[in-house]
Amino acid sequence: MAPVETTARRASAGVLRRRWITAGLTLLLLAIVILVDRTSLGDGPLGILFGIGVLRFTLRAAVPLIFGALSGILCERSGIINIGIEGMMLAGAFGAFAVKSHTGQLPLPLSLALSTLSACAMGSAMGYLHALLSIRFRMNQIISGTAIIVLATGLSTYLFDPDWLSRGKFSDIAIPVLARIPVIGEVLFTNGLLTYLALAMAIALHFLLFRSRWGLRTRAIGEHPRAADTMGVNVNRWRYINTTIGGAVAALGGAFLVLEAVGQFKESMTAGRGFISLAAMIFGNWSPLGALGASTLFGYTQALQNQLLLSGITRVPRFFISMLPYVTTIVVLASVVGRTRAPAAEGEVYETE
Amino acid sequence: MHRSIASILAVLLVAAMLVTGCAGGGTAKEGLKIGLVTDVGRVNDRTFNQSAWEGVQDAAAELGVEAKYIETKAATDYLDNIRQFAEEDYDVIVTVGYALGEATLEMAAEYPETMFIGVDQFQAETVANVAGLVFREDQAGYLAGVLAASLTQTDTIGGVFGTDLIPAVVAFREGYELGAKSVKPDINIISAYHPGEIAQAFTDPEWGAATAAQAIDGGADVIFAAGGQTGNGALEETATHEGFYCIGVDTDQWDTLPGAHPCLVASAVKTVRKGVYELIMSVADGTFEGGQVYGEAGLSDFHDFADKLPEELKTKLAEIAQGLVDGSLSTGYGQ
Repeated sequence: MAPVETTARRASAGVLRRRWITAGLTLLLLAIVILVDRTSLGDGPLGILFGIGVLRFTLRAAVPLIFGALSGILCERSGIINIGIEGMMLAGAFGAFAVKSHTGQLPLPLSLALSTLSACAMGSAMGYLHALLSIRFRMNQIISGTAIIVLATGLSTYLFDPDWLSRGKFSDIAIPVLARIPVIGEVLFTNGLLTYLALAMAIALHFLLFRSRWGLRTRAIGEHPRAADTMGVNVNRWRYINTTIGGAVAALGGAFLVLEAVGQFKESMTAGRGFISLAAMIFGNWSPLGALGASTLFGYTQALQNQLLLSGITRVPRFFISMLPYVTTIVVLASVVGRTRAPAAEGEVYETE
Repeated sequence: MHRSIASILAVLLVAAMLVTGCAGGGTAKEGLKIGLVTDVGRVNDRTFNQSAWEGVQDAAAELGVEAKYIETKAATDYLDNIRQFAEEDYDVIVTVGYALGEATLEMAAEYPETMFIGVDQFQAETVANVAGLVFREDQAGYLAGVLAASLTQTDTIGGVFGTDLIPAVVAFREGYELGAKSVKPDINIISAYHPGEIAQAFTDPEWGAATAAQAIDGGADVIFAAGGQTGNGALEETATHEGFYCIGVDTDQWDTLPGAHPCLVASAVKTVRKGVYELIMSVADGTFEGGQVYGEAGLSDFHDFADKLPEELKTKLAEIAQGLVDGSLSTGYGQ
């Protein structure tokens, strides 16, 4: 048993060191951000890199990615590949808008709550359909996911009526005390409900996945369904449940776009955000906190790109700046390949013997 | 049982793919046959396609004929959609948008008997059966710039634009900046084009909204948005911040975008509807001529802001507009 113990200790020492580095870097960043905002440091290039506009854009761009990546994690951790996040998100956006635009006469909070529920219902339906196709009909899960995207795009385009109009959206709620912290309060603690939900959900899901009974079961059926089955876990039932919930979570990303960010629906308005969430999920190594970090990084590259465009830097052609998020994605994915590990039983149909 | 569910699902999926391409409008009667092909998007998109379609409907109503439209779903369908009308011997085909320019010229060569009206399509050489309806966007943008620079309290104004791959959008932006600088030479202008390709640049309201918010965080207190749905996102975002102004584009967005009312002081408009109507009528009475046709471009009404704007500003804007039209004043764009 001795060698195992040494490996375990070495691994935990590595984890510990990584945590210290993360904490250190976070503190350093916080210090820079506050200095940039409060002193004249912010007038130069540092203002472009860490200005408050950039940070707020980062979070805003990250929220749909967080929901999308969490949806991916829910499905893939239990062994179902989910390439259809984009479709589930779009279905959610449409579901939210359809109800929002027809409940204008209700009080705003009620209308928003109903719209959010409708988004989740649409997303769950898409998730359930994906599970049905992949589990009961043993369809290739990549193809089933693609079908979800085509279905959501087609239906939402067909049913959408540009004359529908939605009024009012989730407004910013400043969290008492915390919102008064310089910069951090303005960026992190003055947001709409769905933004808080995204952050809270990432943390909660991380805890649940690695510390709860449900999490253990989910990871077991994604890694080794046969073993889980032997221990009495109903593999396919949990796959159905998790994929359906996953659809609802992706739909919250769409609901965020309609109910908190834009306020209206537009055909194909998810504009590839579902696919970037897939990259965020992989980069985050199928862990919710990892996905949170990855989504933030992708959000940041978009924010930085925009800030560079807005600041009118003309020496660099616009197209190079436009490449920034994509180049980052490629570099990041190339550098973590081999270090991340997908759930072992992902994409395999499980049949009891 | 399983099989029946599977086949139902299959039918649903196929149906979803089928509904992505369909045509509308009534059946054509005797008389002039008018067809309209939209750019990628819907005919009731509350901006460009809709204005052109309204122009077609105005003409059709006046002539007592019926018109049809085809909504383009993908840029690869331009030719096929135009051909559908041409093969059925339509007399006038309106193609909406710069992106359809090449396809329009190609079909015009193939069907010389059919008259084509290309909205926003610059004509390098005169083709007898193609009229390119174009606008001086730089002039409308210039007026928007003068208005923005006169309104700003922070001496910082913002702009959210579709894409520099479309000349009309570039003209709006350059005109806006030139106009603003004519009032305040040192004004700080923070503006950006959508970083994506044409297909995304006009259909990404969240990018428009987030960018408008970013510009506001950067100190801008007037936002000019020119970029279809992307721009609409920016306008509606600006409307949720108190005490900011926004300027719309193409059509009078007061009528099309109620969500922007709190900030929408005016729109930099192109009279697409009127231009299309007049060109179709010229086909009807036989005075149609190919080549470049300039439509009117300028500022819309101020609506609820009319009482809030100082009289001298309104007078000044009217004078500049007059000067631009009669040629005594130049925006300086393209020189």
